[in-house]
Formats: sequence, C-alpha cells, structure tokens
Amino acid sequence: MTAESYATAAGLIERSAAAYVSGVPERPADDGFFGPASVTWKMSADLTGPIAGLRSLMMQALHPLAMAGVDQHSGWRQDPVGRLAATSAYVTTISFGERAAAEQAAARVRRIHTHVRGVDGVTGRQYEASDPALLLWVHAALVESALAARETFGTPLPAPDADRYVAEMVVAAELVGVPAGLVPSDVAGLDGYLASVRPELRCTPAASESMAYLLDPPGLEPDIAEIWQDVRYGAVVALPDWAREMYGYRAPPLTPERREEIRQVLGILDAVFLGEPGVLEARQRIAARIRVTARPA
Amino acid sequence: MTRRRAPRAAVSGAARVIRLAGVAAAGAVIGNAAGVAAVAALRRGAAPSRRQGSLRLRRGLAALQLVARGGARYAGSAPRLFAAAGEHRQQLRSDLALQTAEDVASTLGTMKGVLMKLGQMASYIDNGLSPGVRRTLSRLQDSVPPMSADLAAQVVEAELGRPPERAFARWDPEPIAAASIGQVHRAITHDGRAVAVKVQYPGIAETIAADLGNVALLRRMLRVTAPSQDVDALLAELRERVLEELDYRREADNQRFFAAYYDGHPTITVPAIVDELSTRRVVTSELADGARFAELAGWPQDERDLAAETIYRFVFRSLYELRAFNGDPHPGNYLFHGGGRVTFLDFGLVRHFTPVELQPLAQMARYLCVERDPEAFRRNLEKAGFLRPDAPLSTEEVVEYMAVFYDTVRESRPVTMTGDYSSAVVRRFFDVRSPVTTYASIPRSYVILQRINLGLFGLLGELTATANWRAIAEEIWPFVLGPPSTPVGEAELAWRARHPAHPPLPID
Repeated sequence: MTAESYATAAGLIERSAAAYVSGVPERPADDGFFGPASVTWKMSADLTGPIAGLRSLMMQALHPLAMAGVDQHSGWRQDPVGRLAATSAYVTTISFGERAAAEQAAARVRRIHTHVRGVDGVTGRQYEASDPALLLWVHAALVESALAARETFGTPLPAPDADRYVAEMVVAAELVGVPAGLVPSDVAGLDGYLASVRPELRCTPAASESMAYLLDPPGLEPDIAEIWQDVRYGAVVALPDWAREMYGYRAPPLTPERREEIRQVLGILDAVFLGEPGVLEARQRIAARIRVTARPA
Repeated sequence: MTRRRAPRAAVSGAARVIRLAGVAAAGAVIGNAAGVAAVAALRRGAAPSRRQGSLRLRRGLAALQLVARGGARYAGSAPRLFAAAGEHRQQLRSDLALQTAEDVASTLGTMKGVLMKLGQMASYIDNGLSPGVRRTLSRLQDSVPPMSADLAAQVVEAELGRPPERAFARWDPEPIAAASIGQVHRAITHDGRAVAVKVQYPGIAETIAADLGNVALLRRMLRVTAPSQDVDALLAELRERVLEELDYRREADNQRFFAAYYDGHPTITVPAIVDELSTRRVVTSELADGARFAELAGWPQDERDLAAETIYRFVFRSLYELRAFNGDPHPGNYLFHGGGRVTFLDFGLVRHFTPVELQPLAQMARYLCVERDPEAFRRNLEKAGFLRPDAPLSTEEVVEYMAVFYDTVRESRPVTMTGDYSSAVVRRFFDVRSPVTTYASIPRSYVILQRINLGLFGLLGELTATANWRAIAEEIWPFVLGPPSTPVGEAELAWRARHPAHPPLPID
C-alpha cells in the first residue's frame, strides 16, 4: 500500500482555538458531566495540554488496530489539522459542554464509529472502531497522558486528585460506548490496565509515518514550527521508556533547566492560543464558574 | 488562498514590536525632531500649515490663563481626589481575581509576564503593526485579572509591616486601575493626603527575572523577524529595563528625581512620592486627578496644542537637562488640567544617559539643523553608532535619508503633527530600497528612545498639535539655549531661575 501524501498543518492553532471556543458554552443550562468543582476542569487549565495531547496520540497510535482505523478511515492524511481540530472540539464539548451537547457529540462519534471497520494490513486482524476494547485503549492513553504531562512539566496533582481525575473520566469512556465496569477508576487500575495491553502494542508503519508527520508537521509558520520542536521533545520525553523504544526515538534526558525552558515555551504557545478570537473569553467563562463554586458559602 | 497569520504574528509579535521600535528609534534620537508631519502633509499634497498669526494669538490667550492660575500645583482636597479616583475606576474582572501567589505564578509565569512587558511596548503603536500582533499582545494584557483584596492586603502588610487599614487612614480594597505587574489602590494617609498606592503582584519579580534569564529562548523569539545584530542589543536593553522596573524603589527614586527637577514648573507636575509608604513592592505617591487622554481629544485645538507643547518640553528638557528619558509615553500616563498643565505619571521605565551617550545626539541635531554641516553630522552619526563608518554612501545620500526625521525642527515655523507621523518614520526605516538601511542600526544605549517616535510623536499626532517645534527645541538645545518662544517658555523663566545648575553637555 503506497502512502498518500499528507496535507500541510497550516492553520493548526487557529482551528484548534476555534474548536475550543465552540466547545465552551456561554450560558450553559447545566454543568455537564464534570462541572466547575471537578478535577477535570482544573486539569484543563494546565499549560501542559499540548504535550498531553501529542503524547496521547503517540500512545494511542501504538495499538495496531486503533491506528489502522484512523489510517484507513478518518481522512487523516487529507486533512490532519481538521481531524485534530475535530478531536479538540470533541474533548472540549465533553469536558465543558452541557449534558445534552456532550451526549449529542458522543452519539455522533458512536455513529461514525459504526462505519469504521476493516482489516489491519500488518496484523491481519479485523477491527471495529466501536469495539469497547479499542475505545478503552484510546481513553486510557488520553487520561494517562494528561497525568504524565502534568507530572513531567506542570504542577503534579496530589495523589487523591489524580485518582479522582481517573474516576471522573470514566463517564467520558461510557459516552463513547465503553461499559463503565471495564474502565479503570483510579491510578493503580489505570497502570494495571496499560500493562495488560502492552503485549498487543507495536509501532506499525502507519503509526511511524503518522507520528513522523505529527512531530514535524509541514506548513507550520516558522515560529510555531520552532515552538513545536520543544513540544515534540516534551511529548517524547514524557513517554514511558518502552513506548519510546517502540518508536525508536531517542530523547536527551530532561534536565531541570530544559524542563523550565519547555514550560516557558508552553507559556508562549498558550499566549498565542490566548490571542485567538474568543479564547480569552472562553477561559474566563470557565474560570469564573470555578471561582463561584470554590467560594465559601 | 489567504490564511490568517495570527499565530505567527503572535509569537513573533514581540519580536516585531522590538524590531519596529529599534529601527524607528533613530528618528527621534537623531533628530530631536518633532516628526515627519510635514512630509506626511506633502505626501497628501497639502502644504505644511502656516498659521503663525493665529497661533500667536491663541497662545497669547492661553498665556493669560496661565498667569491667572499661576504656576501653583493644582490643589484638591484629599476626599475630593479620593472620590474622583473612584469615579475613574477601571473595569477589572474582580470575579476572576487572583487569590494566591500560586494564581499569580500560573497567570504571569512561563514567559507570559515577559510577553506582557513586550506587549506594553506595542500598546501605543498605532501604525506598522498588523492587527493580529496588536490583538495578541493586548489580549495578553487583558488576560491578567486583579489581585483579590486579601492578596493585595497581604502584599501591603508584608511590605509596610501593617495591614493596609492601619498603614493608611483610609484604604479602598477595590483597585482603581491595573498597573504594570501590579494594581493601583486609592487611599488617604494618616496625615491626610490622598494617595495612589501601587501594589506589585507577589512573586512576580522572581518569575519575570527567571524568565528573562532564558536569553536563548528570548533570542529565538526575536530572531525570526529581527536581524541578529539588533537582537542582542535589544534584548540586553529590554532585560535591563524590565529588571529595573520590577523594583519599585527604582521607580520611586526616578519619580523623586523628576519631581524635584520640575518642582515649581508652570505646566509640568510630577506627583510626590510618599517615602515612608514606599518599598520594593509598594509605591505610594500623591493622588492626582485630571482629564484623561481620550477626553483631551475632545478639547478645543488650542488646549490640545498647549498640552502637546508641555509634553514635548517635558520629554526634551528631561533628555537634555536631566539626561533622563521616561520611557513610557503611554496615553494612560498623563492627566490634563487645561492651560497646558499636565501631570506625568508612572516612572517605572526611566533611562539615564551619560554625557558621552547624549553628546552625539545633540551634535547631530546641531550640525544638521543649526550649523548645516553635513560632514560633521555624518561624523556624529557614525560616532553614536547609528551608521557604520565604512558605509560606501555619499554624505548626500545619508542626509537625504535621515533628514526626514528632522523635518519638524529644520525650519523655524509652525508645523502640525499628524496621525501619520509614526508610521511615516517606521516606513522610512523599513525603506529597503534605500541603500542606507543596510548600514544603519540602533546602538543599545539608544534603544529605549524609540519610544519618542513610537509613543510621544504618536500622541502628538493624535492631538494634531501645532507649534513651532524648532523654536521650542532651540530653547532646550544646549548648543543654542534660545529665548522663550511661547508663553509657556516665558512662564518657565521663573522656574528655570530656581533650577539653574544643570550640568551642561560638553560641546566637542
């Protein structure tokens, strides 16, 4: 199978920002599935979001069947930026949207998933995107990456909060069709689950190619491209050793100085994001709701 | 296909600002020039205004007003000033107020505070920046909420040793304005003075200092759009100024310095610092009230002209006589009282020059505008470092290129500043078709003076101010020391008699 060429990544920031803004309601009827008192909302304000996102894609891609589904069906190569923006919009809507909006977005994803089925060229195994086992992998990789990125580059969550975050996120897995009983609900459970899946993981050519694209996307504005190099390093260095080895990436060890530099770069990227229309207002909507909730009665 | 260029603009926005600032600096510096309004006017096919007669008349009337009010400081009772400060309260998002030092760090840490400082440089540049850059940098400033009343009180207590309610006779826990890396509260002291108390965000000095330490990253940010020889000088200057700004004691010292010099001046007021209530992170000064810049825009033209004249005198007297430049000619830093009287606020970014640094600037103006000796002009241009000594250019070319920056002071006649002023200067510096551009640069010592072009003359342009800037400049130029040319100049005589001993600049 010859790989189609990828479209450029121009517009990555603008489209991610627009996706984010659209997912944060202005006058919500309810607090959605998480709400202002949740750890999930607190996590979302963290600077490490871009590293969490990239690391999570790298983890997810190591499952050959999950990767095959994306590679063969999602229009990923033709419009990678659109695909990433759609994922951002989905995650934002699930996190901050009203229950109805979150359910609607999840129903749409479940509907799309019913059409995503096929045979992975590498393993020869059949897959279906609606398979709870695959969905669970994607879910777990995302949750664990958010924690890992924060642990490595942000302010680490206190252990009880990390457990609470994993527990809160169970509903996100349910929304896409994973029975709640299958979903890890604390950090230990999450780690156990990841270890159990590891024998199935490998770096297929599709994974290798997609990640090579993501790590060095063509068409970025030059200064965003410079920043991206640091985000990329951050994501790679935050991977578990075994995952990094599967990809064959090498990352110089993270020194305290380098860590601070990455944090500064994330700050700049965040400032860029904040400059996009509506982002500041969306952030303020969230922050104001968190404040009101946190205020002692 | 056109794509918005916002993200790029955002990251390198700061870089571009600095670049613009740097290249545009020479205009004001070299020229002590009032701008290129005349050029702008010519470009539109209009002749520079010649309204000498009516100008004199209007100035004469204004002089009467000045005499009537005398040179006395505007006076106001503390309660009235306190109340007025409340009426002018900025709309701040108190619902998002920062509650803890950790909130401050997450809002202003990781380079955001540094970007914000860079953004302040952009906030008064009207032309030459793309809307995307301006939006990003100003958004970043908007993104900083105030401190909660408790957090601000904690800082005051840590600095002054007493909670604000005891340190002051009256304290308003709601800030009246956002300030650079802090916020301003109104208060009344125990001895009955209405004061403005600027309180710094806790931990911000350490955060910004640490971020400024990452020179490699800052350089990378700037490198994208700025040529390498400029980046280091600009960066060094920026770091030095911002680090200074983090220590409010510097600001208090500078404000005292300016206040002492202008004490008794007929139109210039600098609020006094309250020494015993000023520390590293809290600075207390007399509260002042007056019309804001935006209101001034609605005043009659003769009032605007007078205000512009005072601002002009303040900048160039400070430069030539105090060898100091207050680097923040932001519209928010002036209060206007009519009759040309202006209160100058915020001395957070002041650059002091040595005689050696200042002398070539004076010499350039002298040789171009007064002695009309192009070769001597060029020598001083090179001596100051604005032009490479080996530039294969004829002096005619150099003069032709630079003359634009002196247009308002080359001839003694009234000239009207226009809104096109800053952009015309910027355009000239970006004139890549000119062979001079290749050999011109801004030495580090003069980087800060770009704010004359981009800030001061932008403001005067917004006021469409008319004056005989050359005659005013001659009063101030140490190589001329001309007689008073306006009623304000005459009113200055008594003040100058009391402030005689300014070390004169060495001439050659």
